Amino acid sequence: MLSRVADSLYWMGRYLERAENITRLLLVTEDFSTETQGLAEDLAQTAWKDMLAIFPSAQLTREITPFAPLSVPYLHAFFTDQANGYSINFSIRKARENARSVREALTLEVFLALNEVFRAVEAYERKGMPDLPAFRDALGAIHKGIFTVVGAIEHTSTHDEGWRFLKLGESLERSYRSALVLRTRLPALLGAEARGDAPLYYTQWRTLLRGLSSLENYRRVYGARLEPNLVIGFLLFDADSPRSLRYGASSVRDYLGAISGPGELTAPGRIIGRLHADLRYDDEAQMRRGDFVGLLDRVVGELAKTHDAIATQYFVT
Amino acid sequence: MKWLPETKAFDEAFDRNGAARQHYRPLVSILESFTQGEIERRERLQKLSLMDQGITFAVYGEKEGTERIFPFDFVPRVIPSREWERLQAGLVQRVTALNLFILDVYQGQKCLKDRVMPPDIVLSRKEYKRELLNVIPPRRIFTHVVGTDIIRNAAGEYLVLEDNCRCPSGVSYVLENRNTLNRVFPEFFKYYPVRPIKDYPTLLLDTLLHAAPRFSEKPVVVILTPGMANSAYFEHSFLAREMGVVLVEGRDLIVEDNYVYMRTTQGKKKVDVIYRRVDDDFLDPLTFRRDSLVGVPGLMNVYREGNVGLANAPGAGVADDKSVYAFMPELIRYYLGEEALLAQVPTYLGARAPDLAYILDHAHELVIKTTGDSGGYGMLMGPFAAKKEMETYLGQVKKNPANYIAQPLVELSAHPTYVDGKFEARRIDLRPFILYGDSVRVLPGGLTRVALRPGSYVVNSSQGGGSKDTWVLAEKPT
Repeated sequence: MLSRVADSLYWMGRYLERAENITRLLLVTEDFSTETQGLAEDLAQTAWKDMLAIFPSAQLTREITPFAPLSVPYLHAFFTDQANGYSINFSIRKARENARSVREALTLEVFLALNEVFRAVEAYERKGMPDLPAFRDALGAIHKGIFTVVGAIEHTSTHDEGWRFLKLGESLERSYRSALVLRTRLPALLGAEARGDAPLYYTQWRTLLRGLSSLENYRRVYGARLEPNLVIGFLLFDADSPRSLRYGASSVRDYLGAISGPGELTAPGRIIGRLHADLRYDDEAQMRRGDFVGLLDRVVGELAKTHDAIATQYFVT
Repeated sequence: MKWLPETKAFDEAFDRNGAARQHYRPLVSILESFTQGEIERRERLQKLSLMDQGITFAVYGEKEGTERIFPFDFVPRVIPSREWERLQAGLVQRVTALNLFILDVYQGQKCLKDRVMPPDIVLSRKEYKRELLNVIPPRRIFTHVVGTDIIRNAAGEYLVLEDNCRCPSGVSYVLENRNTLNRVFPEFFKYYPVRPIKDYPTLLLDTLLHAAPRFSEKPVVVILTPGMANSAYFEHSFLAREMGVVLVEGRDLIVEDNYVYMRTTQGKKKVDVIYRRVDDDFLDPLTFRRDSLVGVPGLMNVYREGNVGLANAPGAGVADDKSVYAFMPELIRYYLGEEALLAQVPTYLGARAPDLAYILDHAHELVIKTTGDSGGYGMLMGPFAAKKEMETYLGQVKKNPANYIAQPLVELSAHPTYVDGKFEARRIDLRPFILYGDSVRVLPGGLTRVALRPGSYVVNSSQGGGSKDTWVLAEKPT
């Protein structure tokens, strides 16, 4: 297929996944901050500030007014603000722009579904959200809209090369962002201890899992009890949960393999293959060593390298 | 329900006494069976559907990336089968003659030597490409896709207004309008044997495959678009999707060893036919405009070598010239030995001294146009022009008379159109699409454009026009 089209589909996949990640993180963080702000305001504050580390170039454009709820400026910045390169609005616009430039490579259902989400975001931007329940409502609706697009991609497109590039973008964005979420939140969580305020401590672990839509998946494996070590092990090395780092690396590797064909080893294939092997075969040693920050830094770095190698291999010809 | 028929011009749906014409009677009674509220609900549904589907066009001169929907009026235009048969025969004749004319211009120029028209009219035009002399496309076809604009005068007679032999657009709206009407007013179709148009993409692909160089066994067809910012981008991607071919931009193509390739994730892939929706001037910066960023350097050499088919063939634009148009009846006689089946609008040529004098004297009755423009650009509507505007324009005409032609203002026919809760008469035209492959075929339908502003004659989408579904009726089975 055309390199330009592959490039656009890859980015469409990335932006769509990014929009979904932002939506989910906003919903989860909003829940957490509403629940805890009376109890421990600093934790609520930190949870919001973490958004700026998970999306490192994001920018808050509104001032934080003292009497408004803590969440509001962040919700604005990450939901409707077009000036923030990491808002839902910006990501959906970009996804649609990419889709529009390769419309003939997509099924009608995919474009229609994406166009509807785009128009819904536009409407929210225009009308504004008067209060937190309205924000939550809107985010919920957008979340469903994005899932509709993803469903249309899965069930109406041929699973050919174009689809693989789209999925490659999606899985790379997902792994990269999950790694950043862990890199941002784990150090503080590991530093805290479950003393008198045990419920609050566990709320944070629960929030971490929910932020990576893994709470129910975790429970299915380990039951309701949250053991920090089990949670970390699950989010890093689980074989089946779609947002574990191991699962992510293995999908990136698989899509790249399907694109290059059997036996063909490409530059991006080598990078992701090595990373995948670490996560797949070295899990026990990593858990014993406990240097999670070092591991996560390496994952983030290797994924960035994989992206660069993909661009050189397929998009610049 | 209120109907306001046309009083000055030919009304497509009502006769002089205000009674519905026979082929509009079922439609009028169905519409009258709806309540106002129901019609409004359906209209809202239809607008939403267009926006949701992103069926939009870009408007030049507005903010970058502005998308607008092309307004759609749900009252369909109905053409009885007998009227269509005549139109179709006339269009086939006309396109056949146009192709022979272009062929002649680039090889032999017999029509100029025989003085069917003054040679200057052809040779001085910028659409005439000297570089293409004796470069003859595969199977001697220049005009693979033609959109001919047709109007009806006050007597209801069909007239050709202009030919578009370059990159006529609008066919995607023809297909989408039918879809939209199907969804929003399914009731309409029950009483009419409407001829289907859905196989246009198949016909188009056949036509394009026919334009392939002879040696290619399984020709690869692509559509070349100037890109997303182009006003017809929706149509380009629509046709690519409908035909299952790749949509490329200039930067996706490269020329090597006199073949054209596209850049793919698996390396270079050879291209055999390019349905190019890019003007001649921008096709190849090495041959035509050097500043073109949407073209492919070296493309014209490949074409000259016969290694790629281009549709429509470069140089075909010479037939779109409005002074050439004036000679069409003579050209049809010259090439086919037949009288033209379709009438056209009387035309005065700025290039001819007596005509020029007439134009200058009667400017207030005439529509004056530049010979090379289309889309309603560069036009003066004499009867409606302000004095100042008229003076400036005529000043230009005097400076370069050969660049202008003039025609009497034709009272375009009008058609009931839903405006603010009433069915009012609005002016319309018709663009049928003609494909030239192994034979010349006319799509049974076309783009009916409608001037939505009251009293306006301008139907162009860039200037406040909308469109309608166009029904060609099948002969009723007897």
